[in-house]
Amino acid sequence: MTSPLDRRNHLLGAMLIAPTILIFCAVIVYPLVSALYLSLFRIATPTLTGAWVGFSNYTELLGSGIFWRGLRANLVWTAGTLVLQIVFGVLAALMLHQNMLFRSLARALILFPYFISTVVAVLVWRWLFNDLYGILNHLLLLAGLIDMPVDWLGSMPNAMISLVLVGAWKYFPFVVIAVLARLQTIPETLYEAASIDGAGPLARFWDVTLPQLRSVLVIVILLRAIWDFKEFDLIFLLTGGGPIDSTQTLPLLVYQEAFSMQDMGRASAVAVLMMAVMLVFMTAYFRSYGRQEES
Amino acid sequence: MSRLALTRRTTLKSMAAGAAIGATAPAIAQATRTLRWWSPQGAPAQLAAYKYQIETFEAVNPGIKVVFEATSDEGYPAQFAAAFASGQVPGIVTHLPSFAVTSYFNQGLLSPFNDVIKMIGEEKFYPNANRVYDMGSNVYAGIGIGNSAANMIWLRKDLMAKAGIAKEPRTWDELRDAARKMQGGGIYGAPLPYARNSMTSLVFICFIHGAGGAVFSPDLQPTLTSDAVVNALEFYASMRELCPPGATNYSWGESLTAFVSGATATGLYTGRVLANTLAQNPTAAPHITCKLYPTISANVPFWTFNDFPSVMIPKQFADQDAAKKFAAWLFREDGYVKQLHAAPGHVLPVLKTISESASYQNNDIIKQYRAEVDLMAEASAGGFNLGKESPQHQTNTKGREVIGSNVLAELVQKVALNKENAKTSAAWAQDRIAEIMKRT
Repeated sequence: MTSPLDRRNHLLGAMLIAPTILIFCAVIVYPLVSALYLSLFRIATPTLTGAWVGFSNYTELLGSGIFWRGLRANLVWTAGTLVLQIVFGVLAALMLHQNMLFRSLARALILFPYFISTVVAVLVWRWLFNDLYGILNHLLLLAGLIDMPVDWLGSMPNAMISLVLVGAWKYFPFVVIAVLARLQTIPETLYEAASIDGAGPLARFWDVTLPQLRSVLVIVILLRAIWDFKEFDLIFLLTGGGPIDSTQTLPLLVYQEAFSMQDMGRASAVAVLMMAVMLVFMTAYFRSYGRQEES
Repeated sequence: MSRLALTRRTTLKSMAAGAAIGATAPAIAQATRTLRWWSPQGAPAQLAAYKYQIETFEAVNPGIKVVFEATSDEGYPAQFAAAFASGQVPGIVTHLPSFAVTSYFNQGLLSPFNDVIKMIGEEKFYPNANRVYDMGSNVYAGIGIGNSAANMIWLRKDLMAKAGIAKEPRTWDELRDAARKMQGGGIYGAPLPYARNSMTSLVFICFIHGAGGAVFSPDLQPTLTSDAVVNALEFYASMRELCPPGATNYSWGESLTAFVSGATATGLYTGRVLANTLAQNPTAAPHITCKLYPTISANVPFWTFNDFPSVMIPKQFADQDAAKKFAAWLFREDGYVKQLHAAPGHVLPVLKTISESASYQNNDIIKQYRAEVDLMAEASAGGFNLGKESPQHQTNTKGREVIGSNVLAELVQKVALNKENAKTSAAWAQDRIAEIMKRT
C-alpha cells in the first residue's frame, strides 16, 4: 500500500511531466493522427468538407505512376545532392582546417550559402541559368564550348543536374561546420605517430582523419538525407517539378494535390506514404545513434 | 549638461500613462474595421492607383481601413486554399481569372455580387460583360474589374520589313514562316511558353481554339482527342525551335520581357506590352503593333483569351457591407481610370461609360496606340476562357482545377519536348481531365 507521501510524489511527478506530454501530443501526435485520418477521406482543401473513402486514396496513388515517378525523382535528387554535399563539405573543411591567410574570413564566407534565404538563392541561380541574359550561357558561348544557349532548367537531364548542383551549393556548409568542429578535436599526436611510421599526406587522411570523422559523418549523412528528402522550396522555385513531372518530388506532389487539385485527403495520403519511406531513414539514424551511445 | 532624472514619481506617471493608452487601444481598434484587399496585379503604377482609391475611400468612410496585400498568378490557389480553410479571408479580391471565381462560388465560398452590380449601375456595363460570372438564375459570382485580350500577337514592324515580310501573319503557316525569317542574330521568332505552369496551359487553349477545337464540348465533356487538338499540338511543337531555349521555363513575366527587350520578334501578351516597351525599350516603341493571334487557316475565326480579371467577396468575411461598398468604389470614374491608366491596354474597361469618357481617352499611350487599344477592346469584349469557351458552353466550375493540375502544360511538354506522339498524348490528357471532372 502506497503512503500519502508516495502518492503526493507520484502526483507531483505526473504534474511535472504533463507539460512535456501535452506539447508532444500537440506538435507530434495530433498532426500525425490528423494526417492519417485525413488520408482516409476525399476532402476539399478550402472547405475541409468531404466523404469517407477508406484506403482508396492509397490504392489509387500506389496504382498510378505519379507516386512512383515522384519517389524516383526524390531518391535521385536526395542521393545526388547528398553525395556532392559530403564530398565538397569534407574538402572545404580540410582546407579551412589548414593554417592559411584570412582563415577566419574564409570560414565565415563559406557559410554564406547556408544562411542566405532559399528564395533569394533561387532567384540568383535562375538569373545565372537564364538563357538570354545568364552569365553561365554567356561564358560558355564566349569560350566557344556551345553554339546555342543551354536550357538548364527546362529539359532533362539538365533540370535534375542543375537542381542537384544548386542543392549541393546551398547545403554543403552544414557539412563543413560539423566536420570542421570534429577535425579540431582530433589529437595531433595521432598524426605525429602516423608520420613517424612513414605515412604520407594521403595515408594520414585515409588512416587517421577519415576514421576519426566516421562518427560525425554518419550523423551528418543521415540528417542531411532526411532534410533533403523532404526539401520543397528550392525544387518548387527552381523547376516547379518540370519538365513534365521529371523533378516532381513527393513534397511537390503533396503541394500539387493539396492546393492545385484542392484534395487534402489525397495530399495527406502522399504525405503518409512519404513518412513511411522516411521511417527507413529514421530507423537507420536511431540505430546509428544507439551504437554510438553504446560505444 | 542636463541629466534625465528617473524618480519614483515620474516612473509612476509613465506607467499610468501607458496603462491609459493600453486601455484605449482596443477601443480604437474596435472602432476601425480593417478590409484586406488581395490582388495578383501589383506593378508600381498599379499600386499607386490602388493607393489613391484606398485613400479616397477611407476619407469618406472614416471607420474603415483598407490594406492592400499582393498575391501571385501562379501561387494564388495555395494562398486562397489556406485562407478559406482557416477562415482568415480577405474582404475583397481582384484580378483573379473568372474561372477561379466560379469555382470558389460553386464551393459556397463567395457572396453573390448582385448588390454590387446594382450599386455600380447595371446599365453602365457593356452588354454580356459579366456573363461568365452568371451562375444561373441571374446570380453573379463576381464581376470583371476589366477585360483583357491576353493572346494578342505583338509584332515588330522594323524586323518584319528587314526580313521582307509585307503583311502581318493571318495563319499558322504564315506565322511560322515569318518567325523563321526574323529569327537570327540573337533574336528568336516567338516567346511561346513550354513550361509546366498555368501560362502554358492557358496559351495552349488559345491554340486549340485557333485550330477550330475546344477543350470541352458545350456540355463539358473533354474533347482533347479531336483532330483540332492534335493539329494544335503538332503546330505548337513545330514552333519550339523558333522560341528561346529557356521558354521551357517561361511564365507571363518572362514571355513579356522577351518581346519587350527585343529578344523575340513576336510576342503574345496583353496591352501591358505598350507601357513596358515605352519604358524599357523606347527605340523599339515606334515599331510595335498588335493583331489578333493567327489561326490554323483563314476559315477558322480568331479566338481571344479574356482572363476576365475579376472582383469577388469571400462569404466568410464578416463585414460584407464594407466589402461591397469598397467593391463598388473601385469603379468610381476617377479611381477606375487611374487604375486603367496604370497599364493602358492591359486591363480594359468593363464599363462603357468609362470607355467613352474623356478622362479615360486622355492618355498619351492610348492616344499613340489608338488602333491597337481599340482592337484589344473589341477583341476582349468577344473573348472567352476555360470558364466558358463559347456562348454555347455551360459555365465550367472545374476550370481552376484543370489549369491547376498542369495536365495541358504537361501535354504540351510531352509532344514538344519529349517528342511523344500527339494523338496518344492527347488521349492521355483526355483521361486525366475526365478524372478531374469526376472529382467532387
